[in-house]
Amino acid sequence: MLDEQEIRRLLLATAARDVDAFARLYKRCAPLLLGVAQRITRRRELAEEVLHDSFTRIWRAADSFDPFGAPVGWMTAIVRNRAIDVMETHDMARVDSYHAALDDKPEASLDQMFDWSSADTAEDALDASRLRAFLRRCLGELVAAERQALVLAYEHGLSHGDLAAHLGKPLGTVKTWIRRGMLNLRACIDQCTGNSGAGR
Amino acid sequence: MRLARHRQLEAVIGEYMLGTLRGGARRRFERALREEPAVALRLRTLQQEFTPNYSERIAQTPPAAGWQRLERELNLARYRTPWYSRVSFLRVWAVGVTAALLLSLSLLTLRTSTEMTLTPIAQLAMKGAAPSVVAAVSADRRTLQLRAARPIVAGPLQSYELWVIPEGGAPLSLAVLGQLDGTLQVPEGHRRQLRKGALLAISVEPAGGSPTGAPTGPVILSGAIS
Repeated sequence: MLDEQEIRRLLLATAARDVDAFARLYKRCAPLLLGVAQRITRRRELAEEVLHDSFTRIWRAADSFDPFGAPVGWMTAIVRNRAIDVMETHDMARVDSYHAALDDKPEASLDQMFDWSSADTAEDALDASRLRAFLRRCLGELVAAERQALVLAYEHGLSHGDLAAHLGKPLGTVKTWIRRGMLNLRACIDQCTGNSGAGR
Repeated sequence: MRLARHRQLEAVIGEYMLGTLRGGARRRFERALREEPAVALRLRTLQQEFTPNYSERIAQTPPAAGWQRLERELNLARYRTPWYSRVSFLRVWAVGVTAALLLSLSLLTLRTSTEMTLTPIAQLAMKGAAPSVVAAVSADRRTLQLRAARPIVAGPLQSYELWVIPEGGAPLSLAVLGQLDGTLQVPEGHRRQLRKGALLAISVEPAGGSPTGAPTGPVILSGAIS
């Protein structure tokens, strides 16, 4: 797992135009971010373009990184948004290829793709790892259809329309799954954080 | 319309994090993120709760020439060359303006402080805006002074809190303030943190300061100590 404190330091140094820090940031993060792009574009050459564009953006926008925010999350969001944009402009017959390529087991995918471990020992990572455990538990408690819609949308950057086509369901149904899934997730996590706060 | 007061804000942020907010809707949201601190704060909180960590298992080896291409296209070499070999008219001009600014700031400081000399150490600015608060310290780092370009006064239910964030460390509270103008005593344990590389930041907190000891509200101003 990437060391959030180290990445934060490199990102802040990058904002100060420290090229060596930017080079280290690239070395540390490019493999994971390329993987994120690949999950969405599903084509290596497009994923490489997304990675390149994303690091260009990271260099240019590093000074707008919120020092209190999550550094890896910030970069991941840049990569995901860029990958989604690239896929939208290419407008390739993606749904067809998705049918063949997508894994239909969001359960397995959830644990393959994400790291839910709580191995961090750094002080302020404790909260983060607790929140991760809550998120994993709450995803597990969702209705299967809602969980599948959320995981597919997040992992592969599918739009409502892509999801409807892929799952063979009406658009309205898919939108409802997404909306309800997010609401239920929110409610469950609020309950977890509220309970754990009172319990300790 | 202010998105911060929109009753669908949570749902919009949810779709943004998920990636299903598209086209114009996403661009409107991203504009709100830049313009409305409350929206950015809400996103930050939700991101902390909802963003899973990608596993190293999905990592892939980047293309061999990937870094060289970035270096070339962003012309990164110019950030490495020694300063005397990249002097050009524009830079001389910029250095001159900076020097004049620093001189006028120090003259200002000299005028306003009768007893001690304060050295400017950081210019605090809103994201992407011109610096609006200058922080200066005494030689012994006991006294820190904030000078705002225009009055910035906290609302009745809020306070401002000044933080120093050491390189690679967690934010340490320096002071709770009602307005961003004035002189304060730096807590003894934090004096040595006021050094190059650390960040100064000001967040908006409930009246009396952060209840948790860490920033809980939006950061309105920040700047590196140089």
